[in-house]
Amino acid sequence: MSQIIQVKNFSKMLPYIQLFEQGVVVTVLLSLCTVVIGFLLALLLTGMRMSNLRPFRFLAVDRNGRLRDRGFLRSLSRFNPLSFLATAYVEILRSTPVIVQIAVIYYGVFSLIKLPSFRFFGFIKFDRFFPGVVAMGMNSGAYLCEIIRSGIQSIDGGQTEAARSLGLTQGQNFRYIILPQAIKNILPAIANEFVVIIKESAVTYTIGVQDIMAAVNSIRSATFSLLEPLLVATAIYFCLCFPTSKLIAYFERRMRRGDKR
Amino acid sequence: MATNGNLISVQNLKMYYNRGAIKALDDVSIDIHQGDVMVVIGPSGSGKSTFLRSLNLLETPTEGHIFFDGVDITARKVDLNLHRQKMGMVFQHFNLFPHMTILDNMTLAPMKVKKIPQAQAEQKALELLDRVGLKDRAGAYPIQLSGGQKQRVAIVRALAMEPEVMLFDEPTSALDPEMVGEVLDVMKELAHMGMTMVVVTHEMGFAREVGNRVLFMDEGKILEEGAPDQIFNHPKNPRLQDFLSKVL
Repeated sequence: MSQIIQVKNFSKMLPYIQLFEQGVVVTVLLSLCTVVIGFLLALLLTGMRMSNLRPFRFLAVDRNGRLRDRGFLRSLSRFNPLSFLATAYVEILRSTPVIVQIAVIYYGVFSLIKLPSFRFFGFIKFDRFFPGVVAMGMNSGAYLCEIIRSGIQSIDGGQTEAARSLGLTQGQNFRYIILPQAIKNILPAIANEFVVIIKESAVTYTIGVQDIMAAVNSIRSATFSLLEPLLVATAIYFCLCFPTSKLIAYFERRMRRGDKR
Repeated sequence: MATNGNLISVQNLKMYYNRGAIKALDDVSIDIHQGDVMVVIGPSGSGKSTFLRSLNLLETPTEGHIFFDGVDITARKVDLNLHRQKMGMVFQHFNLFPHMTILDNMTLAPMKVKKIPQAQAEQKALELLDRVGLKDRAGAYPIQLSGGQKQRVAIVRALAMEPEVMLFDEPTSALDPEMVGEVLDVMKELAHMGMTMVVVTHEMGFAREVGNRVLFMDEGKILEEGAPDQIFNHPKNPRLQDFLSKVL
């Protein structure tokens, strides 16, 4: 196996070029599914973190009807189990490597749940693809949750005050005032997350998802050349990500121009 | 309850921060009558904005009661949104909704909260905009307006809910000097129409001319209260005398 790039090694790859084509389809499909699942999960997590469920709220007031301003009972009165769960989820997912999460999901969770093994589009193995999407979606949900939360927090508090002073409920304020402004602020960040997922999805080859990276491995074992397929994979990833991020930057600029109506 | 026909009755209101180390409001009691134009003055950090914001519970008091229309709105079971509808509020920084046109800014709350049909809400909004000379800007976005125009829109946006009392939190402090007049004129007109108003302001001329009661606050307490003539021409409290000597 020579480590020097040789043209004849590229020509040796030609019969296997279909593997790359399939790999691109898998990678793009996986990333799209991941973004959708991740976004829905992130909305749920954000809702949980911003919820106002405080089962021990009654502890906030002491026997004389005064607000407690210190102590364990005051902390307990502010405890929100939904928010706690969501925060714990986000922090755990953000503090562990994706490759570990994928392995845990695939070898752990999906060893207990039996998935039907069929292929769709003729070459995508569902019982590999689906765990990959679940694991990647769970991971990006945590990151997107942070993005959505920061988008919501970037809205000036005066907006909420104005809405509430007009008699709008908390839910109406969120739906009509906060969310429309927040979504506009975070759309570029969500699109960037899509680019990040395209790149990160490369690790799903470790559980046998037939993406671009898996194509590299197949071709290596068939042709005994490593560097050449890797270079092709690099070029493909670049061609997927670079134009996408440029497109996002373009729309970001256009949206900002809209602000200065 | 002990409200004696007052529109708003504030009783022993206290607002503490940092476990009582900071007393933003320290035992404030005051009655506001129907038709009052009450102007609150005082040095910055004296608690006047906190006082105003606690009237519609944008700040939650540590202790004390606020009766509005005879209902204790500090009670925990009260539907606060119902009472906030009756209290219009105007902010220092306008707080218009930037993603909506002026007309949408004004019709949102009437349509969503009071369930008024769109056509009716829009007609009412246009009438109000006409009163402040901004009818032709109904389709504009807030960013296209000057500060004075924004604040006039903010005032009529609050009026569109037909409130019983209007709260003004330093409505002219963020404006260029040349735009202060146009906002004060709208407020004056409102006062002459009999609207109950509570105004936190540094505009002493407005306090003197339009107000029928003036409160002087410092360190979270009401130090002196009276008619404008008494407060400005015959101040008793030494801190008020000192304050007036600096601002007049």
